[in-house]
Amino acid sequence: MMTGLLLSLAFVALTAGIVLGAKCPRVWLAANLSGSVAALMAALGVLAGNPDLDWRSGFLLGGEPLHFRLDGVSAVFLTLLAVASGAGAVYSREYWSDHHYPSSAPRGRAWWSALMLSMGLVLTVSNGLHFLIAWEIFAICGYFLIVLEAKKPAVRKAGWLYLAASHAGTMGLFAFFTLLATRTGTWDLGPLRDHTGLAPLFWLVLVGFGVKAGMFPLHIWLPSAHANAPSHVSAILSGVALKMGVYGIVRFSGWLPVPPAAGWVVIGVGAVSALLGIAFALAQNDFKRLLAYCSVENVGVILIGLGAALLARSHGDAPWGRLAMAGALLHIWNHGAFKSLLFYGAGSVLHATGTREMSRLGGLWKTMPWTAGMFAVGAIAVSGLPPLNGFVSEWMIYLGLFSATTGKSPAAWAAMPATIMLAMAGALALAAFVKAGSVIFLGAPRTKIAAKAHECGHWMRGPMWLMAGVCLTIGLMPAVVWPLISRAVGSWHPAWSGGQTPAPLSSLGSAHLGLAVLLVTAGFFLWRKVRANGLRRDLTWDCGYAAPTAKMQYTSGSFGGLAGAWFNWFFLPIRKLRRPRGQFSGAAIRLETIPDTVLARVIGPLATIVMRISTATRRLQHGRLQSYILYVLAGLVTLGVLVLIGGKP
Amino acid sequence: MMPILEMILRPACWLLLAPLLPGIINKVKAWVAGRRGPPVLQLYYDLARLWQKSVVMSKLASPAFIILPAVSWVALFGAALLMPLGPIGSAFGFRGDVLLLIYLLALSRFCTAWAAMETGSAFEGMGAAREVSYAVLAEAAMVAAILSLSVQSGSISLVTMLSPAAGPGMVLLAAGLFIVLLAENCRVPFDDPNTHLELTMIHEVMVLDHSGPPLATILHGASMKLLLFSVLLVQAVLPLGGLSSLASTGLLAVGVLLVTVGVGITESLLARLAFKRVPLLLTVAFLLCLFALLSAWKGGNS
Repeated sequence: MMTGLLLSLAFVALTAGIVLGAKCPRVWLAANLSGSVAALMAALGVLAGNPDLDWRSGFLLGGEPLHFRLDGVSAVFLTLLAVASGAGAVYSREYWSDHHYPSSAPRGRAWWSALMLSMGLVLTVSNGLHFLIAWEIFAICGYFLIVLEAKKPAVRKAGWLYLAASHAGTMGLFAFFTLLATRTGTWDLGPLRDHTGLAPLFWLVLVGFGVKAGMFPLHIWLPSAHANAPSHVSAILSGVALKMGVYGIVRFSGWLPVPPAAGWVVIGVGAVSALLGIAFALAQNDFKRLLAYCSVENVGVILIGLGAALLARSHGDAPWGRLAMAGALLHIWNHGAFKSLLFYGAGSVLHATGTREMSRLGGLWKTMPWTAGMFAVGAIAVSGLPPLNGFVSEWMIYLGLFSATTGKSPAAWAAMPATIMLAMAGALALAAFVKAGSVIFLGAPRTKIAAKAHECGHWMRGPMWLMAGVCLTIGLMPAVVWPLISRAVGSWHPAWSGGQTPAPLSSLGSAHLGLAVLLVTAGFFLWRKVRANGLRRDLTWDCGYAAPTAKMQYTSGSFGGLAGAWFNWFFLPIRKLRRPRGQFSGAAIRLETIPDTVLARVIGPLATIVMRISTATRRLQHGRLQSYILYVLAGLVTLGVLVLIGGKP
Repeated sequence: MMPILEMILRPACWLLLAPLLPGIINKVKAWVAGRRGPPVLQLYYDLARLWQKSVVMSKLASPAFIILPAVSWVALFGAALLMPLGPIGSAFGFRGDVLLLIYLLALSRFCTAWAAMETGSAFEGMGAAREVSYAVLAEAAMVAAILSLSVQSGSISLVTMLSPAAGPGMVLLAAGLFIVLLAENCRVPFDDPNTHLELTMIHEVMVLDHSGPPLATILHGASMKLLLFSVLLVQAVLPLGGLSSLASTGLLAVGVLLVTVGVGITESLLARLAFKRVPLLLTVAFLLCLFALLSAWKGGNS
C-alpha cells in the first residue's frame, strides 16, 4: 500500500518535472528530488522486506490492462535509478545551467525528467506491450539528452549511432515479446519458470537487451554516445541506462526458463567484454571514452556473475551461484555509484578546461583539489581495490567462481578461465585508472588551459560527495547491504531466498574497517613525522636534470602503450609515421588512433555494402515517365509469361 | 596469555625480520662475486637513518605524495597479517581471504604508481607504466597459482589452502611462483636493484623522488613484500600442515632462507632481460601456473 503510494508520488513529481522543467528550474529540481526520494523509499522498502507491489488496474492502454509490479529485482534497479537521477539533477543545475546553455538547458531538464519516468516505468510495468512502449520512450529520451549540443557534428553522429543501435536491439525485443505473447496467449508478464518450451527465447533477450547493456560486441554505440553527451547525461547513461539492458537480461532469465547453454554463453560474453572493454579503455586518450569503455568492462563483470549464477541454477541450485548472483547485483549498484562519481569528476574537468584530451591536461590537483580527490576515490573503487565497494562485489563474484572450481562441477571449466580473465581485467583497470587519474590531475600542466582551470562549485561537488559516500559505505559495511541484495536474489530465483549474511562477508567487512582505520592512522602519522623532520620543496629530481618541462612528462599514450600494444592484434590501430630523416630533419610525427574494431572493421564495411546496394537500387527511381511505363509493361509481360508457364492463373 | 603474545609477536616478526632478506641476498651476491659486501643488517641501518632525515619533495607533488607510501605500506602489512605462518596460522582468516591478499598487493601497487606520477618526471612515468603493465601478467599467473592450490586443497582460505602439499604440479607451481616473486619484487632478471641507470628500471625508478621517512616506509614495505612472497612460495610447495609445530617452523624458516639464497644466486648468475623479453618470461610463469592448475585438476580426479 505504502509502496504504491510512494510510486504514485514519484510518478506525479516526475510528470510535474516534465511539464514545469523548461520554465522553472527550482521547481523542477524540487520535483525531481522528491520523485527520487519517493522512489528510493519505495524500492528500499521492498528490499528491506515490505511485500512486493503487484497492482492491476482495469484501465486499458492499447487494449491491455495496466499492470505494475515492484519485486526485489526491480527494486534493486529502481534504487540505483532514484539515487543516480537525483544526484544527476543536482549536478546539472550548475553543470548545464541556463546561464551557460540558454537554449538547451530548459529542454534538457524536461527530457531528464522524462528519461527518469520512462526508466521507472520500464522497471515496474509488467505487461509486454507496455514494456515495449516504455522502452521506446526511454530510448528516445536518451537520444534527445545525448544530442543536447546538437550543433556539434560529432554529437549528432553519436546520437544517430545510438538511435540506430538502440532500435536494432529493440527489433530483437519486438520479436521476443510478440513470440512470448503468442506462446503464452497473453501480454501479461510474470514468472513462467516451468514452461520449458520458452527457453530458446532467451537468445532474443540476450541480444535485444545486450545492445542496451553494452556487452561486447554489441557495445558499438556506447563509447561515442557517452563521450559526446553532457557529463551528467553520460553518468546516467553509464550508471543507469546500461543497467536497463542488464535488468532485461536478469528479469527474463529469472522469470523464464533458460536453455542449458545460457550460463556458458553469458559467462563467456561477460569475460570477453570485461577483458576487451578494459583493454580498449586503456588505449583511449579521451577521458570520457576511457570511462565509457570501462563501462563495457563492468557490464562484463556483472555478466560473469550472472552467468555463474545461471550455471549454478542449471547444476542443481549450487549455493555458490547465490553468491555470484548477489555479487552481480551488488556490482550493479557499485558500478552505478563509482561510474557516476567518475563521470561527475570528468564533467568538472571538462567544465573547467573545455577539453576531453588527457594529454592536454595535467597538474589539475592544484586548482581542482576536490575533483582530484573525488576522482582518486572513484579510481580506487573502479579498480576493485579494498577497502572500497568495487572490491566487495568483485570478491563475491570471485568467491562464486572459486567455489565452482573447488566443487569440481562441470561449471568449473567456465569458472576457471573466467576467474583468470577477471583478474587480468582487474589489473588492466588499475593501469587504466592510474593513467587517467595521473595524466589529468598529477604532474605539471601540459597546456595553458590546464594551468588556468578552476574548481567546480557546490552543486557539482555535492553529488560527488554523495557517490563517494556510497562507495565508502558499501565498502566498509558490506554486511549491511547483504539483506537487501539477498531479497533480490530471492525474487530472481526463489530457491535461493532468505538465509543469513554469509560469515566471510562479515569478516571482509571487519577487515575493511580495520584496514581503513590503519590507513588513516598511518597516513596521518607519516605526515606528522615528515612535518616534524622538516619538508622542503624543490624541482623534481629527474636524475639531476635541471630544466624539466611539462612536455617531458609521460602522456596517456605512452603510459597505456605498453600494455595496449599486447592487444594490437585486436585493436588494429591506424598508424601515421614520419621518421626524422637527414641532418636537418623536418617535423617527425607518430600518430596512432585506435578506432572501435567492431564498428570500424565489421559494422562499417557492412553498412557501406548496404548503402551501395540501396544507392544502386535508387537509380531505378528517377522521375522519367517513359521508363516508368516501361517498368509497368515489363512487369505485366513477366506476369503474363509466368501465367503462361505455370498454366493456372 | 597466548593470544596476546601472538598479537604482539606476529606483527613484530613481520616488521623486524623482513629487512633481513635484502641483506641476505646482498651477502649471497657478494659471496658469489668474491667480495665482502655490505653487512647483513645494512637495511636496518639505512631505515634508521632515513627515518631521521628531512624530506625534499617535488614542487609539483601534492600531499598525497607523502601519504601514499604509508597507504601502500599498510596494504602490504595487512597482506602480511593475512598470510598464515606455519603452525600459528593467520591473524585473521576467512573464506576468500586469499583474494583480499592479492587485491591488497594491487592497492599497494596503485599507491606506488600514483605517487610516482605525482612528480611529473618522465623516468617515474616510465617505471609506473611498466609496473602496472607487467602486473597484468603477474596477476594472471598469481591467480592461476591460487586456483591450482584451491583445486588441490578444495578450499579458498589461505590457512587450509597452504597446509597440504602442492600435489603433482608442485615443481611447476614452484617455478611459476618463483618467477612471479622475482617480477613482483623487482629482482633480476626483471629489474636490477643495483643499477643507477634509471632508464632500465621498473620499481626502483618509481621511488626516485622519495626521501626521508616516506622512502624508509617504501623500503620496509618492499622487504615485507619479499618476505610475503617467500613465505607464500614455501608454504604453497611444502606440506607444513602435517608436521609438528617445531618442525614446520624450522622448515618454514629454512625454506624462506633457501628462497632468499636462490634469489641471490639467480641475481648473480643472470643478467637483466631486455624489456621486450619481460612479458615473455611472465607468460612462461603464467603457463607454468596454468599447467600446475591442470595437473592439480587431473590429479584430484584420478
